[in-house]
Amino acid sequence: MKAAPFAYVRPGSTQDALAELGRDGAKVLAGGQSLVPVLAMRLGRPSTLVDINAVPELSRISRDHGTLRIGATVRQRQVQYDAATAAVPLLRMALPWVGHREIRSRGTVCGSIAHADPSAELPAVASCLDATMVVAGAEGVREIAAGEFFTGAMTTVIGAEELLTEVRFPIAAPGEGHGFGEFARRHGDFALAGVVVRVRTRDERVDARVSCFGVSDHPVSRDISGELQAALAAVGPTPAEPDLRRALAEHAERITSDVVDTGGDAHASTAYRRRLTAGLLAREVARAYLKSLRSAEEGTSR
Amino acid sequence: MSLPNAYARAEADELVEVTMTVNGSETTMSLPSRVTLSDALRDHLGLTGTHVGCEHGICGMCTILVDGEAARACLLFAVQLDGAEVTTVEGLGRQDDLHPLQEAFGRHHALQCGFCTPGFLMSAYDLLRHEPDVRTEDLPDELSGVLCRCTGYRNIVDAVADVAHAHRDGLPGPANCAQRTLVGRTPAGAGAASAVEEPEPMAGTGGHPEEIVLPGGEPTISVDVTTQLESGPDDVARVFGDIRLLARCLPGAELTDELGNDWYRGRARIALGPVRLSFAGMAHILEQTDDRIVMRGQGQDTGGGGAQADIVMTATPSASGVSLQAEAKVFLTGRIAGFGRSLAGDVSRRMFEEFARSLDRAAAGAEPDAHSRPPGAVSILVGALSDRFRQRLARLRRGRGRRTP
Repeated sequence: MKAAPFAYVRPGSTQDALAELGRDGAKVLAGGQSLVPVLAMRLGRPSTLVDINAVPELSRISRDHGTLRIGATVRQRQVQYDAATAAVPLLRMALPWVGHREIRSRGTVCGSIAHADPSAELPAVASCLDATMVVAGAEGVREIAAGEFFTGAMTTVIGAEELLTEVRFPIAAPGEGHGFGEFARRHGDFALAGVVVRVRTRDERVDARVSCFGVSDHPVSRDISGELQAALAAVGPTPAEPDLRRALAEHAERITSDVVDTGGDAHASTAYRRRLTAGLLAREVARAYLKSLRSAEEGTSR
Repeated sequence: MSLPNAYARAEADELVEVTMTVNGSETTMSLPSRVTLSDALRDHLGLTGTHVGCEHGICGMCTILVDGEAARACLLFAVQLDGAEVTTVEGLGRQDDLHPLQEAFGRHHALQCGFCTPGFLMSAYDLLRHEPDVRTEDLPDELSGVLCRCTGYRNIVDAVADVAHAHRDGLPGPANCAQRTLVGRTPAGAGAASAVEEPEPMAGTGGHPEEIVLPGGEPTISVDVTTQLESGPDDVARVFGDIRLLARCLPGAELTDELGNDWYRGRARIALGPVRLSFAGMAHILEQTDDRIVMRGQGQDTGGGGAQADIVMTATPSASGVSLQAEAKVFLTGRIAGFGRSLAGDVSRRMFEEFARSLDRAAAGAEPDAHSRPPGAVSILVGALSDRFRQRLARLRRGRGRRTP
C-alpha cells in the first residue's frame, strides 16, 4: 500500500497555499490521517499535495468575541489538552472518541471537518453548535455556517481551490449542558451511531438540539426542544436521570426514524442503527439537561 | 513543536530534501515525496525496529514518536517531518540497558512473535509519559491503537500496568538517543546515506582527509584485551615500528596503499559461518612509539554497513615477556550493527587475541600467518560461541548452587 507519486510543495503562507491549490488536481495535506489511507489504497491520486504545516497563521488556537478559533493545522490532541478549549466542553467530550491517541497527535480538527466522513465525531460537534467555517479562496474569505457546510458523504461546500483556514466554535454559556455518546464496534473504529447534544436552560425556558452521526450521509441536526419539554412535563423539572431517560425514550424513536436514513451495512442495519441512536439520544439528552440545570445554578457551562 | 520550513514545489519525479532528528541524530535525506516515514526509517536509515503492517493506519505496528507524541509512521510522508524529532524503538533502550517498558514486556511475556512489540512499546511510552496516573481499567482502551494477534493482550496490559505503578512520578525518557551514523539497508535505496561517509580528501595530500571523526555516544563494542606475549620488548618494538608488518598481523587485514602522513588505505575481510563481511577503508596512525600505537580507522562494508574504530595498543614489559593491552572503541552501523552486541564483542575480542598471537610470531621473526587464510573464519566463531557456552554453563552452575539449601 503505497501512494502513487505526487508533486509536493510546502508553502509558507496562506496566499502561497491558495496559489498552489489553483493547480489542477491539487489537494491539501494537513494532518493526513484521513487523506493518507485514501492515497495508500489509491482511492485518490492527487497530482500535487499542498502541505500547509509550514503556514504559521494556521497553527493557532485563540479565543475572542465569544468564539474559540481553531486553525487548520491545530492537532486534535492539542485541542484536547489546551486550556482555551475548556470553553467548548463538547470538543473535549468528543475528542477521546476520534481515532486513537496516535491518530489525534497528527490529525487536525479542521481536517476532520473538511474531510466530512459521515461517521466522524467532529463534523457532528460543529453541526450541533452551528460552528462557523472560514474558507479562503482566490476571491477572498467566506464564512459558512455548519448547517450549509456539509452537503453529503465526504462532501462540503469547499471548492477545489479553496482552503478551510479556521473553524469558530461558539463558547458555551451558563445554563448550557452537553452530551456525547457513540457506539462503535471497537474503540477508535467508525461509529455505527453517535449523538451530540446541547441543552440550554434559561429562565424557565428549555431548548435542546441534537446532531446525529453515522446515520446518514452527513451529520443530521434537529431541534428537539419540544420533545424535551414534553418529557419534562411528564416527570417534572428536576427529575432523576433514569426517569427522564425513560420519558425521553418515548419520543426518541420518532426522532430517529426521521433522522436515521442510512441504508445500513454488514455491521448494522437501518433498524439497529435507529435503536442505537434512540438509546444514545435518550441517555445523552437526559444527562445534558441535568448538567444544564447545574450549570444555570452555578453560572457556568458544562 | 516548531513549524517546518517552507519548501518549493518538487515535481512527482523529483527528490525532496528533508532534515530531521532521529533518535538524537540529525539526518538529511533526499526522497521521493510519496515515501512514508516508516519506509524512510527502515530502508533509508536502517532502523528496522519500526515494523510495517497494514500501511493505512489501522494496525499500529509502525507507531513511533514525533516531537514526543506517538504517531503512525505509515500515515506520514517522510518529507513532512522537516525539523521534527523522531524517536523509534531503537532509541528507547539498549540491549544491555533496557527501558523499564521493554524489561516489563519481557518479564510478563507480553510478546510472542514480537511483531507488534515496537508499536506497543512506543504507544505505551507515549501513554505513560503523558498520563502517568492512567487507571489500570482504562489501559485496554488506551492501548487499543495497536493490534496484537498472539498474546490476547492480557500480558501486554499487565506489563504496562506494572510500569505505570512503578513510575507514577514519571517514566524515564528514551535511553538510547545519541549522535550516530544512520545507514540504509540497501545501497540502492534512492538518496540513502552511505554507511560511513568517506570524508573529502584534503588538498595537497596523497588523497587522505584531514581526520577521521568518530560518532558521539556509546560505541557499539568496547574491547579491552590484555594478552601475554613471549617476545621481548625490543622485538615487539620492531613490529610496532613497521606498519606493514603490523598490518599483516591483523586477522583478515590487507594494506593496499600508503597515502603518506601516516595514512593508509586497506581492506579487511571477516568470515563467520555464513556471515561474510568485507570492509574497505582507511587508517590513520596518530601515535607510534616503541611501546604504544594509537590509531583510528574507518571502513565501509560492501553490504551497506560501516565501522569506525579508535584503537590503542600498549606494550608493557612483564616477567615472561610483554603484556600487550588492546583497547578499542568500535562503532558499527547498518546491517552489521544488528549482529547482536554481545556476539560482535566476543568476535572482536577473539580477533585481538589472534592479532596478539600473530604479533608474537612476527616479533619472533616468523611469518605472522594472519592474513593467509580466510581470516578469523570458523575458529573465531567457534571460539566466541564456546566462550558463551562456557559462560552460560557457569551461570547455570552458579544458579544451581544458589538453589541448594
